[in-house]
Amino acid sequence: MKSHLIVLLSLMSLSCMSPSLQAQETEAGKLAAQVCASCHGPRGDSISPGFPKIAGQRAEYLENQLKAFRNRTRADPMAQAYMWGMSSQLSDDMVAKLAVFYSGQKPPRGKAADPKLAQTGKAIYEGGIPGANVQACVACHGKDAEGTAVFPRLAGQHAEYLVKQLVLFKSSLREGGSAQVMHNISTGMSFEQMEAVAAYLMSK
Amino acid sequence: MGKSLCAVSRPAGVLFALLIALCSTGTANAVPSYARQTGVACQGCHTVFPELTPFGRSFKLNAYTIDNLPQVQGITSTKEYELLLNQVPPLSFMFQASYTKTKQAVPDSALVGENGQNGQILFPQQASLFYAGRVAPNLGAFIQMTYDSQSASFGLDNTEFRYAKQIPSVSGGLTYGFTMNNNPTVQDVWNSTPAWQTPFDQRSNATPSPGAATQIDGVLAERGVAGLTAYLWWRNSIYAELGLYRSSPQGFTPNGTAVPNGNAGPLDSTAGGVVTSYAPYWRIAYEHQWDRNSWSVGAYGMSTKITPADEPVSASFDRFRDVAIDSQYQFIGDEHIFSAQATYIKERQSLDATFALGDSANPTNDLKTIRVGGSYYFRRTYGGGLGYFSTTGTSDAVLYAPASVTGFGNNSPNSNGWVAELNYLPWQNVKFALQYVAYKKFNGASSNYDGSGRNASDNNTLYLLGWLNF
Repeated sequence: MKSHLIVLLSLMSLSCMSPSLQAQETEAGKLAAQVCASCHGPRGDSISPGFPKIAGQRAEYLENQLKAFRNRTRADPMAQAYMWGMSSQLSDDMVAKLAVFYSGQKPPRGKAADPKLAQTGKAIYEGGIPGANVQACVACHGKDAEGTAVFPRLAGQHAEYLVKQLVLFKSSLREGGSAQVMHNISTGMSFEQMEAVAAYLMSK
Repeated sequence: MGKSLCAVSRPAGVLFALLIALCSTGTANAVPSYARQTGVACQGCHTVFPELTPFGRSFKLNAYTIDNLPQVQGITSTKEYELLLNQVPPLSFMFQASYTKTKQAVPDSALVGENGQNGQILFPQQASLFYAGRVAPNLGAFIQMTYDSQSASFGLDNTEFRYAKQIPSVSGGLTYGFTMNNNPTVQDVWNSTPAWQTPFDQRSNATPSPGAATQIDGVLAERGVAGLTAYLWWRNSIYAELGLYRSSPQGFTPNGTAVPNGNAGPLDSTAGGVVTSYAPYWRIAYEHQWDRNSWSVGAYGMSTKITPADEPVSASFDRFRDVAIDSQYQFIGDEHIFSAQATYIKERQSLDATFALGDSANPTNDLKTIRVGGSYYFRRTYGGGLGYFSTTGTSDAVLYAPASVTGFGNNSPNSNGWVAELNYLPWQNVKFALQYVAYKKFNGASSNYDGSGRNASDNNTLYLLGWLNF
């Protein structure tokens, strides 16, 4: 009897909560399917490395980036070409809903990378580059590169996209948010080291 | 080819083909109003205009409705939009200026033994005003009004209205839509079908062009048609479309006279080349995307019944059955862009009406066209294209008769050659093109093709184009 009561209460609570959650999912999901999916793929798992995978990305990070696009503080070439326009009419409410929607999607699966390159990348990710003022990525991005707080998930991301972002940070073409931190870190990295880290992260 | 503004006059005894000679304009499509509406730079939708990227294809298939402008809007009590209008209309302007020179000048149109000026400047070649963008929540438009300097007229060019809706609940996502347009294949999203095939879509309209072409390859568009088609787009990969076209010529009045009350007259025998009944159009395609690559393969076709000039409409007709295949490959990198397109069109002509009138030597003829080309661009700024084109078909002594420059000396419709071009885009919306078209065979032969001593290579064309979109 008691177990039946628990099941009943659980069902009631679900039925009470689901409409708002569903509405949120529906509204953001609709926008995601109709607009965002054109570049970022169905449910955020993009095909082209020109566009980042955002499925399973941290909500705080997505929200910050969408706002940075909207107020044009993130001004790298692709941001200007695509996301300034795409984010311009998003309300704070929709930004939050989109962030929640994508963070709730299944994270992308890793893709095989050159084992030797990935091994080099793993060492940099976990230990940094002593002597070059490159701190270990793991400190902010998490043990499994799943992201922490406002720091993005990197696991499973397109390697080409990651390298490009590191280059943008290094050249200060990508600004806003925590870009200054990344500028300082990427300044000490060679292109080959960037490729190694990216290969490791893509494979995760 | 794009729609020409040249009037399709009554083809006196010749069913088709010669109308296109000296009368076809290049396609003109890259529309900054879409960029204004979406806030996305040209590179979002185009590799280099007018070739579409996967995002551009998605934007078009979803009826041009992605919109990031402040709106004038109205909603019902159930929060459904009953009005959604851009506060600023999505308008834009296009201007093309060109210089065209053929290897040998074309004979003077009146004086025997003299030549016309060689080195024609067209300013403009075309000047177009576009409304291109969302009209209502799921309805968008591409409307091109063009001033053509050759005909000194301003009229409707490539135009389509499109309604589309997504059903995300279907596995993989399904989009369905409808398009109403005036040029079969203008609605297509791959640049391997006639209306938008690169690198063949920009041609001078001040130089002789081969005289034989299939109906679906621009001839119907020249005649003036309108069609309604329905399409499905599933999993961003499978496309199917079906529709019907019917005659809708511009500026027709019966027997060339003014029509009482200014009303449009019904098409009759004086129209010439009327599409009898409804012409079915079909299209299937498959696209696969991986990394920065995409590859598509497809087929398309039409079946058209056309009444010859001076005959009662629908009493007797010729039947044209066009079946075609096409394929496209694209690699879109940040630095390097490469694409290749190919199509093969086969047309079976049953010329019952024309043959009965004695206007063709054969009751049935065939035409086959193949075009294969590729383009490369570096940073979307410097690039070029190379293409091969060929049309072959049944010889016909009446249909393909000798005539100076535009005729067929040996009654064969065969033409082939190469097109090569270099392009420079200092900005995403400005293109300068240097193009050379070389004919190995023109209207049936390499030498003395017209029966008047003109060689195919005499029509080789140097073409300089300046193209601004703003």
